[in-house]
Amino acid sequence: MNNSKLLLKRPLNRASTASVVAILVIAILGFADSAFLTIEHYRGVVPPCTTAGCDIVLTSVFSAIWGMPVALLGAVYYLLIALGAFIFLEAKHIGKAAESHHFSILKWTLLATILGLLMSLWFTYVQIFILGSYCLYCLGSALTSVLLFVFALNILIKNENI
Amino acid sequence: MNIKRVIFWGCFVVVLGLIVWGLIASMGKGQNTGTAGTPAPVSSADHSRGPVDAPVTMIEYSDLQCPACGAYHPLVEKVLASSTIPIRMIYRHYPLPQHKNAFVAAQASEAAAMQGKFWEMSGLLFTYQDQWSELADPREVFAGYALRIGLNVEKFKSDMDSDIAKNAVTAQRDEAQKIGINKTPTFFLNGKEIESPQGYEQFKAAIEAAAK
Repeated sequence: MNNSKLLLKRPLNRASTASVVAILVIAILGFADSAFLTIEHYRGVVPPCTTAGCDIVLTSVFSAIWGMPVALLGAVYYLLIALGAFIFLEAKHIGKAAESHHFSILKWTLLATILGLLMSLWFTYVQIFILGSYCLYCLGSALTSVLLFVFALNILIKNENI
Repeated sequence: MNIKRVIFWGCFVVVLGLIVWGLIASMGKGQNTGTAGTPAPVSSADHSRGPVDAPVTMIEYSDLQCPACGAYHPLVEKVLASSTIPIRMIYRHYPLPQHKNAFVAAQASEAAAMQGKFWEMSGLLFTYQDQWSELADPREVFAGYALRIGLNVEKFKSDMDSDIAKNAVTAQRDEAQKIGINKTPTFFLNGKEIESPQGYEQFKAAIEAAAK
Protein backbone atom coordinates (compact mmCIF):
# COMPACT_ATOMS: atom_id res chain seq x y z
CA MET A 1 0.00 0.00 0.00
CA ASN A 2 1.27 3.41 -0.92
CA ASN A 3 1.94 5.24 2.32
CA SER A 4 1.46 8.75 0.97
CA LYS A 5 -1.89 7.71 -0.47
CA LEU A 6 -2.85 6.34 2.88
CA LEU A 7 -1.90 9.59 4.59
CA LEU A 8 -4.13 11.54 2.25
CA LYS A 9 -7.14 9.24 2.36
CA ARG A 10 -7.23 8.16 5.94
CA PRO A 11 -9.19 10.53 8.15
CA LEU A 12 -7.28 12.03 11.05
CA ASN A 13 -8.84 11.07 14.35
CA ARG A 14 -6.01 11.39 16.82
CA ALA A 15 -3.58 14.22 17.45
CA SER A 16 -1.67 14.96 20.63
CA THR A 17 -2.31 18.42 22.02
CA ALA A 18 1.39 18.94 22.71
CA SER A 19 2.33 18.39 19.05
CA VAL A 20 -0.37 20.75 17.81
CA VAL A 21 0.72 23.39 20.35
CA ALA A 22 4.30 22.98 19.09
CA ILE A 23 3.06 23.53 15.53
CA LEU A 24 1.15 26.62 16.61
CA VAL A 25 4.20 28.11 18.37
CA ILE A 26 6.61 27.33 15.52
CA ALA A 27 4.17 28.74 12.95
CA ILE A 28 3.89 31.97 14.97
CA LEU A 29 7.70 32.23 15.08
CA GLY A 30 7.83 31.66 11.32
CA PHE A 31 5.16 34.30 10.88
CA ALA A 32 7.21 36.82 12.91
CA ASP A 33 10.29 36.10 10.79
CA SER A 34 8.46 36.41 7.45
CA ALA A 35 6.50 39.45 8.61
CA PHE A 36 9.79 41.15 9.48
CA LEU A 37 11.17 40.56 5.97
CA THR A 38 7.88 41.62 4.39
CA ILE A 39 7.81 44.90 6.31
CA GLU A 40 11.47 45.44 5.45
CA HIS A 41 10.60 44.85 1.78
CA TYR A 42 7.78 47.37 1.68
CA ARG A 43 9.44 50.01 3.84
CA GLY A 44 12.34 50.97 1.68
CA VAL A 45 13.52 50.60 -1.86
CA VAL A 46 16.04 47.94 -0.88
CA PRO A 47 17.24 47.08 2.62
CA PRO A 48 20.62 48.73 3.20
CA CYS A 49 23.48 46.32 2.70
CA THR A 50 24.91 44.83 5.82
CA THR A 51 28.02 42.72 6.04
CA ALA A 52 25.90 39.57 6.33
CA GLY A 53 25.00 39.23 2.64
CA CYS A 54 21.25 39.54 3.18
CA ASP A 55 21.08 42.25 0.52
CA ILE A 56 22.15 39.88 -2.24
CA VAL A 57 19.50 37.32 -1.31
CA LEU A 58 16.72 39.80 -0.60
CA THR A 59 17.22 41.78 -3.79
CA SER A 60 17.82 38.77 -6.06
CA VAL A 61 15.36 37.73 -8.76
CA PHE A 62 14.36 34.85 -6.49
CA SER A 63 13.04 37.21 -3.81
CA ALA A 64 9.73 37.78 -5.61
CA ILE A 65 7.23 35.64 -7.51
CA TRP A 66 4.98 37.50 -9.96
CA GLY A 67 5.98 40.74 -8.31
CA MET A 68 5.00 39.52 -4.86
CA PRO A 69 7.78 39.24 -2.28
CA VAL A 70 8.22 35.61 -1.22
CA ALA A 71 8.44 36.88 2.37
CA LEU A 72 4.78 37.90 2.09
CA LEU A 73 3.82 34.47 0.74
CA GLY A 74 5.76 32.98 3.66
CA ALA A 75 3.92 35.17 6.17
CA VAL A 76 0.54 34.13 4.72
CA TYR A 77 1.62 30.47 4.77
CA TYR A 78 2.67 30.57 8.44
CA LEU A 79 -0.48 32.49 9.33
CA LEU A 80 -2.66 29.80 7.74
CA ILE A 81 -0.75 27.01 9.52
CA ALA A 82 -1.08 28.84 12.84
CA LEU A 83 -4.78 29.40 12.16
CA GLY A 84 -5.35 25.71 11.32
CA ALA A 85 -3.59 24.58 14.50
CA PHE A 86 -5.41 27.18 16.56
CA ILE A 87 -8.87 26.25 15.26
CA PHE A 88 -8.22 22.65 16.29
CA LEU A 89 -6.86 23.53 19.74
CA GLU A 90 -9.63 26.00 20.40
CA ALA A 91 -12.29 23.41 19.51
CA LYS A 92 -10.60 20.78 21.63
CA HIS A 93 -10.33 22.96 24.70
CA ILE A 94 -13.62 24.64 24.65
CA GLY A 95 -15.17 21.87 26.67
CA LYS A 96 -16.42 19.56 23.99
CA ALA A 97 -14.52 17.08 21.88
CA ALA A 98 -13.12 18.20 18.55
CA GLU A 99 -15.48 17.34 15.74
CA SER A 100 -14.64 15.65 12.48
CA HIS A 101 -14.43 18.91 10.56
CA HIS A 102 -11.87 20.20 13.05
CA PHE A 103 -9.80 17.08 12.41
CA SER A 104 -10.25 17.67 8.72
CA ILE A 105 -8.94 21.24 9.02
CA LEU A 106 -5.97 19.97 11.04
CA LYS A 107 -5.23 17.24 8.50
CA TRP A 108 -5.03 19.72 5.63
CA THR A 109 -2.94 22.04 7.78
CA LEU A 110 -0.50 19.20 8.43
CA LEU A 111 -0.38 18.25 4.76
CA ALA A 112 0.28 21.88 3.82
CA THR A 113 3.57 21.76 5.72
CA ILE A 114 4.92 19.61 2.86
CA LEU A 115 4.49 22.64 0.58
CA GLY A 116 6.36 24.84 3.06
CA LEU A 117 9.13 22.26 3.30
CA LEU A 118 9.53 22.09 -0.49
CA MET A 119 9.58 25.88 -0.84
CA SER A 120 12.20 26.17 1.91
CA LEU A 121 14.35 23.46 0.34
CA TRP A 122 14.25 25.35 -2.96
CA PHE A 123 15.18 28.68 -1.37
CA THR A 124 18.00 27.11 0.63
CA TYR A 125 19.27 25.53 -2.60
CA VAL A 126 19.13 28.94 -4.30
CA GLN A 127 21.13 30.52 -1.48
CA ILE A 128 23.82 27.84 -1.43
CA PHE A 129 24.24 26.92 -5.09
CA ILE A 130 22.99 29.87 -7.12
CA LEU A 131 23.60 33.02 -5.08
CA GLY A 132 26.40 31.75 -2.84
CA SER A 133 25.11 34.18 -0.21
CA TYR A 134 23.07 33.60 2.89
CA CYS A 135 20.32 35.50 4.57
CA LEU A 136 19.99 34.57 8.20
CA TYR A 137 16.25 35.30 8.33
CA CYS A 138 15.69 33.09 5.27
CA LEU A 139 17.63 30.24 6.84
CA GLY A 140 15.58 30.78 10.01
CA SER A 141 12.44 30.35 7.95
CA ALA A 142 13.85 27.16 6.43
CA LEU A 143 14.39 25.84 9.95
CA THR A 144 10.82 26.62 11.07
CA SER A 145 9.46 24.96 7.89
CA VAL A 146 11.45 21.79 8.55
CA LEU A 147 10.32 21.70 12.20
CA LEU A 148 6.68 22.18 11.16
CA PHE A 149 7.00 19.30 8.73
CA VAL A 150 8.60 17.05 11.36
CA PHE A 151 5.84 17.68 13.91
CA ALA A 152 3.15 17.29 11.26
CA LEU A 153 4.64 14.01 10.06
CA ASN A 154 4.81 12.81 13.65
CA ILE A 155 1.06 13.36 14.10
CA LEU A 156 0.20 11.77 10.77
CA ILE A 157 2.35 8.70 11.38
CA LYS A 158 0.97 8.16 14.88
CA ASN A 159 -2.50 8.37 13.38
CA GLU A 160 -1.51 5.60 10.97
CA ASN A 161 -0.35 3.30 13.70
CA ILE A 162 -3.50 3.00 15.74
CA MET B 1 -20.40 31.95 20.62
CA ASN B 2 -19.61 31.84 24.29
CA ILE B 3 -17.30 34.14 26.21
CA LYS B 4 -14.54 31.55 26.48
CA ARG B 5 -14.28 31.28 22.73
CA VAL B 6 -14.18 35.05 22.37
CA ILE B 7 -11.29 35.20 24.84
CA PHE B 8 -9.45 32.40 23.02
CA TRP B 9 -9.76 34.05 19.63
CA GLY B 10 -9.05 37.45 21.12
CA CYS B 11 -5.72 36.14 22.51
CA PHE B 12 -4.78 34.66 19.14
CA VAL B 13 -5.44 37.88 17.26
CA VAL B 14 -3.75 40.01 19.94
CA VAL B 15 -0.59 37.86 19.89
CA LEU B 16 -0.28 38.17 16.10
CA GLY B 17 -1.08 41.88 16.25
CA LEU B 18 1.54 42.45 18.94
CA ILE B 19 4.16 40.68 16.82
CA VAL B 20 3.52 42.92 13.81
CA TRP B 21 3.32 46.06 15.94
CA GLY B 22 6.50 45.10 17.83
CA LEU B 23 8.38 44.53 14.58
CA ILE B 24 7.37 47.88 13.13
CA ALA B 25 8.15 49.72 16.37
CA SER B 26 11.55 48.08 16.92
CA MET B 27 12.63 48.66 13.33
CA GLY B 28 11.90 52.37 13.56
CA LYS B 29 13.90 52.57 16.77
CA GLY B 30 16.86 50.61 15.41
CA GLN B 31 17.29 53.11 12.63
CA ASN B 32 17.46 56.14 14.86
CA THR B 33 20.39 54.92 16.86
CA GLY B 34 23.46 55.64 14.79
CA THR B 35 26.06 53.00 15.29
CA ALA B 36 29.00 54.64 13.63
CA GLY B 37 31.56 56.97 15.12
CA THR B 38 32.66 60.31 13.71
CA PRO B 39 34.05 60.39 10.16
CA ALA B 40 37.57 61.68 9.58
CA PRO B 41 37.68 65.38 8.64
CA VAL B 42 37.32 66.16 4.95
CA SER B 43 40.71 66.44 3.29
CA SER B 44 42.10 67.14 -0.17
CA ALA B 45 42.33 63.38 -0.70
CA ASP B 46 38.52 63.13 -0.63
CA HIS B 47 36.27 63.04 -3.68
CA SER B 48 34.38 66.27 -3.26
CA ARG B 49 31.93 68.38 -5.18
CA GLY B 50 29.87 71.43 -4.32
CA PRO B 51 31.04 74.61 -2.60
CA VAL B 52 33.79 74.20 0.02
CA ASP B 53 31.99 76.61 2.37
CA ALA B 54 28.53 75.01 1.95
CA PRO B 55 26.41 74.99 5.13
CA VAL B 56 25.87 71.23 4.74
CA THR B 57 28.58 68.65 4.13
CA MET B 58 27.26 65.23 3.20
CA ILE B 59 29.58 62.23 3.45
CA GLU B 60 28.44 58.99 1.86
CA TYR B 61 30.17 55.72 2.72
CA SER B 62 29.23 53.44 -0.11
CA ASP B 63 29.93 50.31 -2.09
CA LEU B 64 29.67 50.58 -5.88
CA GLN B 65 28.32 47.02 -6.18
CA CYS B 66 25.77 47.17 -3.35
CA PRO B 67 22.20 47.13 -4.72
CA ALA B 68 20.90 49.52 -2.05
CA CYS B 69 23.72 51.98 -2.87
CA GLY B 70 22.78 51.76 -6.55
CA ALA B 71 19.14 52.39 -5.64
CA TYR B 72 20.13 55.44 -3.57
CA HIS B 73 22.26 56.93 -6.34
CA PRO B 74 19.43 58.64 -8.30
CA LEU B 75 17.96 59.89 -5.03
CA VAL B 76 21.26 61.48 -3.98
CA GLU B 77 21.62 63.07 -7.42
CA LYS B 78 18.09 64.46 -7.24
CA VAL B 79 18.72 65.90 -3.78
CA LEU B 80 22.01 67.50 -4.87
CA ALA B 81 20.44 68.95 -8.02
CA SER B 82 17.33 70.37 -6.43
CA SER B 83 18.44 71.44 -2.96
CA THR B 84 18.11 75.17 -2.29
CA ILE B 85 20.69 74.73 0.47
CA PRO B 86 24.20 74.39 -0.97
CA ILE B 87 25.67 70.96 -0.23
CA ARG B 88 29.24 69.80 -0.29
CA MET B 89 29.19 66.13 -1.25
CA ILE B 90 31.96 63.73 -0.21
CA TYR B 91 32.13 60.11 -1.36
CA ARG B 92 34.14 57.49 0.53
CA HIS B 93 34.63 53.88 -0.49
CA TYR B 94 33.49 51.02 1.66
CA PRO B 95 33.63 47.97 -0.66
CA LEU B 96 32.11 45.05 1.25
CA PRO B 97 33.82 41.64 1.11
CA GLN B 98 30.74 39.81 -0.21
CA HIS B 99 30.66 41.98 -3.34
CA LYS B 100 33.42 40.46 -5.41
CA ASN B 101 33.78 43.30 -7.93
CA ALA B 102 33.21 46.19 -5.53
CA PHE B 103 36.91 46.74 -4.83
CA VAL B 104 38.02 46.77 -8.46
CA ALA B 105 35.07 49.05 -9.27
CA ALA B 106 36.32 51.43 -6.59
CA GLN B 107 39.79 51.24 -8.23
CA ALA B 108 38.16 52.15 -11.56
CA SER B 109 36.54 55.20 -10.00
CA GLU B 110 39.92 56.19 -8.55
CA ALA B 111 41.50 55.84 -11.99
CA ALA B 112 38.79 58.10 -13.41
CA ALA B 113 39.43 60.56 -10.58
CA MET B 114 43.05 60.82 -11.76
CA GLN B 115 41.63 62.30 -14.96
CA GLY B 116 39.15 64.47 -13.05
CA LYS B 117 36.06 62.35 -13.71
CA PHE B 118 35.36 60.53 -10.47
CA TRP B 119 31.68 61.48 -10.30
CA GLU B 120 30.98 60.62 -13.92
CA MET B 121 32.54 57.16 -13.47
CA SER B 122 30.94 56.36 -10.11
CA GLY B 123 27.60 57.46 -11.57
CA LEU B 124 27.94 55.02 -14.47
CA LEU B 125 29.10 52.24 -12.16
CA PHE B 126 26.03 52.70 -9.96
CA THR B 127 23.62 53.01 -12.88
CA TYR B 128 24.89 49.94 -14.71
CA GLN B 129 25.66 47.69 -11.73
CA ASP B 130 23.85 44.80 -13.43
CA GLN B 131 26.29 44.83 -16.35
CA TRP B 132 29.41 44.16 -14.30
CA SER B 133 28.52 42.89 -10.82
CA GLU B 134 28.74 39.21 -11.67
CA LEU B 135 31.55 39.26 -14.25
CA ALA B 136 34.71 37.28 -13.62
CA ASP B 137 36.74 40.31 -14.70
CA PRO B 138 34.81 43.55 -15.20
CA ARG B 139 37.83 45.63 -16.35
CA GLU B 140 36.83 45.64 -20.05
CA VAL B 141 33.36 46.92 -19.19
CA PHE B 142 34.94 49.64 -17.04
CA ALA B 143 37.22 50.58 -19.95
CA GLY B 144 34.06 50.97 -22.04
CA TYR B 145 32.67 53.42 -19.49
CA ALA B 146 36.01 55.27 -19.52
CA LEU B 147 35.71 55.68 -23.28
CA ARG B 148 32.15 56.86 -22.91
CA ILE B 149 33.05 59.70 -20.54
CA GLY B 150 36.01 60.75 -22.67
CA LEU B 151 38.93 59.44 -20.64
CA ASN B 152 42.28 58.41 -22.03
CA VAL B 153 41.50 54.68 -21.95
CA GLU B 154 45.07 53.41 -21.92
CA LYS B 155 45.98 55.64 -19.00
CA PHE B 156 42.73 54.65 -17.26
CA LYS B 157 43.55 50.95 -17.61
CA SER B 158 47.01 51.26 -16.12
CA ASP B 159 45.83 53.63 -13.38
CA MET B 160 43.04 51.24 -12.41
CA ASP B 161 45.54 48.57 -11.34
CA SER B 162 48.08 50.97 -9.92
CA ASP B 163 49.10 50.92 -6.28
CA ILE B 164 47.90 54.51 -5.97
CA ALA B 165 44.33 53.48 -6.83
CA LYS B 166 44.45 50.39 -4.61
CA ASN B 167 45.91 52.29 -1.67
CA ALA B 168 43.34 55.05 -1.99
CA VAL B 169 40.48 52.52 -1.80
CA THR B 170 42.12 50.59 1.03
CA ALA B 171 42.66 53.75 3.08
CA GLN B 172 38.99 54.75 2.76
CA ARG B 173 37.75 51.25 3.49
CA ASP B 174 39.96 51.07 6.59
CA GLU B 175 38.62 54.37 7.82
CA ALA B 176 35.02 53.17 7.33
CA GLN B 177 35.80 50.00 9.30
CA LYS B 178 37.59 51.95 12.01
CA ILE B 179 34.62 54.18 12.74
CA GLY B 180 32.31 51.16 12.71
CA ILE B 181 30.17 51.68 9.61
CA ASN B 182 27.87 48.65 9.62
CA LYS B 183 25.84 49.13 6.46
CA THR B 184 26.09 50.71 3.06
CA PRO B 185 25.14 53.31 2.16
CA THR B 186 25.67 55.28 5.36
CA PHE B 187 25.17 59.03 5.18
CA PHE B 188 26.57 61.72 7.46
CA LEU B 189 25.35 65.29 7.44
CA ASN B 190 27.77 67.74 9.08
CA GLY B 191 29.50 64.86 10.84
CA LYS B 192 26.32 63.25 12.21
CA GLU B 193 24.99 59.95 10.95
CA ILE B 194 21.43 60.09 9.64
CA GLU B 195 18.98 57.23 9.30
CA SER B 196 18.76 55.97 5.72
CA PRO B 197 16.17 58.30 4.14
CA GLN B 198 13.15 56.46 2.75
CA GLY B 199 12.53 58.95 -0.03
CA TYR B 200 13.17 62.41 -1.44
CA GLU B 201 11.09 64.33 1.11
CA GLN B 202 12.78 62.63 4.06
CA PHE B 203 16.23 63.30 2.58
CA LYS B 204 15.35 66.96 2.01
CA ALA B 205 14.06 67.31 5.57
CA ALA B 206 17.29 65.81 6.97
CA ILE B 207 19.35 68.32 4.98
CA GLU B 208 17.20 71.23 6.14
CA ALA B 209 17.57 70.04 9.74
CA ALA B 210 21.35 69.79 9.36
CA ALA B 211 21.57 73.32 7.93
CA LYS B 212 19.89 74.87 10.98
